[in-house]
Amino acid sequence: MPEEPLTRSATLPAPAARCAGRSAIREAALDTERALERFLAGIERRAFGIARLALGDHAEAEDAVQDAMIRLVRNYAGRPAEQWRPLFYRILRNRITDSQRRRKVRRAVIAWWPGGDGDGDAPDPVDSAADPGGGPDAALEGEEFLARIQRVLAGLSSRQREAFMLRNFEGMDVAQTAIAMGCSEGSVKTHYFRALQALQEVLGEWKT
Amino acid sequence: MEDMNERMRELERRSRAAFDEGVAGLPVATRTRLARARATALGELRRRRLRGFPAWIPAGAVAAAAIAGVMLWQDERAPPGETALAQFEDLDLVAGAEDFDMFAEDGDFYAWATDEAARDMG
Repeated sequence: MPEEPLTRSATLPAPAARCAGRSAIREAALDTERALERFLAGIERRAFGIARLALGDHAEAEDAVQDAMIRLVRNYAGRPAEQWRPLFYRILRNRITDSQRRRKVRRAVIAWWPGGDGDGDAPDPVDSAADPGGGPDAALEGEEFLARIQRVLAGLSSRQREAFMLRNFEGMDVAQTAIAMGCSEGSVKTHYFRALQALQEVLGEWKT
Repeated sequence: MEDMNERMRELERRSRAAFDEGVAGLPVATRTRLARARATALGELRRRRLRGFPAWIPAGAVAAAAIAGVMLWQDERAPPGETALAQFEDLDLVAGAEDFDMFAEDGDFYAWATDEAARDMG
């Protein structure tokens, strides 16, 4: 079979070309790494703010953001950079939903267990929000307003809450929000508008 | 109506400003932990690069391709129609939901990886 070696050598790159190819791949990987670092550094604090509002717990929010970062890097590093933000928030959203589900189960188990009061170690986001009544010891104006928003958001459906946080706090457009939420752009618009209406009803007349 | 829109816009602006303020005032300890989380996430990518895997290959892809290869290999030996559903249920247990998106969108890569895995298994 004299043809086989000839065919192989024709398809295999020469050592120098192979070396150059490897070096180009390494350079591309380094570029991706740097771009991802910039992306995560730019997004982490806002993501934490959103996770904390959704979960009402500082430590849980940190864990959720770390998990979302790891999953993004592990599974989507090779995607175009413009897809990272909606993908990251989709992962974070799933992670937050998981935490909330686990918390519900934990509470149900504690409530069922004899002597359990169901209020064990997981603080309710509404309860843990700052007192909207304010008073002389009230925190700064912005914090107080944010605590009120948190209370209203806690009473909305999860979709409305997500649409509001991603559109308003994270500043994502409708298309990116739809990817992050895994729904249509029309749904995003509806959920966002309803969330805004609910906030307007409660906070519209609130003066600082 | 215009007044209503104006009030909603004002609410959007104020709520965003309050959120921005909260994020800007995060304690140093929280910022440090977030930076550490970022370093942990990127460390995985760095290790992969040093091992010579390009960044575009997701970490679970080779394992998923091997599983798909095993499924195809078993399927050839099983009575028709019996194993397909059960095998997909098994795959669901070992792969995350986000990983499944990759099957739909990176079809060429998975087709190649599946071929490779099937070839390795003879």
